[in-house]
Amino acid sequence: MTRNEIMEQVNELLANEFEVEVSEITPESNIKETLSLDSLSLVDMIALVQVNYKVNIPASDLPKIQTFNDLYDYIESHLPA
Amino acid sequence: MKYDVVIIGSGLGGLACGSLLAEAGLRVCILERSNQLGGCLQSYRREGLDYDTGLHYVGGLDEGGSLHEAFRRLHLLELPWQRMDGCFDHVLLGDRHYALAQGFDRFTATLSRDFPHQQEQLQRFADRIHRASMEDMEVSAWDYLHECFQDEELIQVLGATAMRVGLHRESLPLFCLAHALSSYIESSWRLRGSGNQIVERLARTIREGGGELRCRHEVTGLRIADGRVEAVACSNGATIEAENIICDAHPELLARLLEGQPVRRSYLQRIRSGENTFGIFTLSLRLCPGVIPYFNHNAYVFRRGSDVWQPEECGEEATAVMLSCRVPEDDSPFARQVDLLSPMSWSTCQPWEATTVGHRGPDYEHLCHTRSESCLHLAERYLPGLSAAVERSYTSSPLTYRDYLAAPQGSAFGLRKDWRRPLQTFLSVRTPLPNLFLTGQSLVLPGIEGTTQTALQTCSAILGETNNNKIQQ
Repeated sequence: MTRNEIMEQVNELLANEFEVEVSEITPESNIKETLSLDSLSLVDMIALVQVNYKVNIPASDLPKIQTFNDLYDYIESHLPA
Repeated sequence: MKYDVVIIGSGLGGLACGSLLAEAGLRVCILERSNQLGGCLQSYRREGLDYDTGLHYVGGLDEGGSLHEAFRRLHLLELPWQRMDGCFDHVLLGDRHYALAQGFDRFTATLSRDFPHQQEQLQRFADRIHRASMEDMEVSAWDYLHECFQDEELIQVLGATAMRVGLHRESLPLFCLAHALSSYIESSWRLRGSGNQIVERLARTIREGGGELRCRHEVTGLRIADGRVEAVACSNGATIEAENIICDAHPELLARLLEGQPVRRSYLQRIRSGENTFGIFTLSLRLCPGVIPYFNHNAYVFRRGSDVWQPEECGEEATAVMLSCRVPEDDSPFARQVDLLSPMSWSTCQPWEATTVGHRGPDYEHLCHTRSESCLHLAERYLPGLSAAVERSYTSSPLTYRDYLAAPQGSAFGLRKDWRRPLQTFLSVRTPLPNLFLTGQSLVLPGIEGTTQTALQTCSAILGETNNNKIQQ
């Protein structure tokens, strides 16, 4: 899966799930602010990534993932072979 | 009539929430689908004797213990608790006999006698489980034990009693193993008389606070408007309005109630994707009077060569059995009732998935008979002569749990926790709907301790931090 494919899919998945326009999601924007995530919906987002990409994000890695770019990076580098 | 709180389900979690909230001045209504309150705490009566289903022993009731304060608030310390022996759990692996002792120092000293080369490590282990923190949700119990100890036998002994939290080698977080052990090491207790006393005591507080408990009220729908639950609908046609809803049923039931409702799909997906812990096959024995002396501890007996960390994978034969003796209410030195509990996977029960209690057919009778015989056979290793002392016996399987308690797959300890996915498998008491809350053993930790602590969290979430003082008092 290419970086562009990941970006496109993730944006659509999250926009659809958290009811925002895809156009509101930019690589440098903050995930929590853009999607209005609280602690509970943040966990749902992690579960969504887990189910769709088989990529598990441990709590200790969460602080590293602030922007959408961080999330694409994380998925890209942890995608199962 | 609009209630402050409607609680779906009357297990320990639902009743504990009801009791605390009723005492805090809220108008509470508990809805139970079956005709008996109590969930796993309920007992049944046969020929003049009460048999418990889920309650066998409780840890941490001593002053300063992990459950002391919660049980005080719930008025459950008033019940006739009986302290168990210094060595409260005995473990038999093959022909080798080990004991777990109350008090962290005695726990370490007792096991150090059997494993002198691991004494220092045992001290470190005891210290770690005594202070288990949220971070241990992300640590594998199995891996941690292997980092800590070199002796495989000791790792088997330390996992042996964790069958009571739905032990699973691959997924069990250290957090769960630590809690399963530490409250009992603090202090271990049996209730003299049936678990129904807990149900009755909590129900009394609810009624005294103006609350209601309604059996035969199965909740089949939620009325949601403007992002809040306004009312619950019951199968008997009743619609009950409430400011807040607590679901004490298995999260899978909540997922069913929320299907098609305006709730994030990812949330539903998450609570539905959890795997269930195994169920329990129980052989409840009524013994001839005056034959088997009462024993004030439990014994966990494992088949020779079996792996403690895979307790449920053996089809018809039992791999492991826990022996629990009921406190004689007539002060006799002899036991009248002994329960044999053995883990049973859902796959063993699946052929009878479509059947109901009393209509499962001869093949199921055969399964129960074979499993009972193998439980007795294992138990004989600890209590020789037990089989000959049996007057009557009754069995229940994960299918029984499923039918009486609406426990999916007859799971005895709710949803399984996984250190590899802690954020997904440990559930919050909050849901995407601001006035809908969860409680029960599937959220954080199973058993009496886990369910009680979670109930306190659920109540705090409802009353809000500012009002939390009401329950603290």
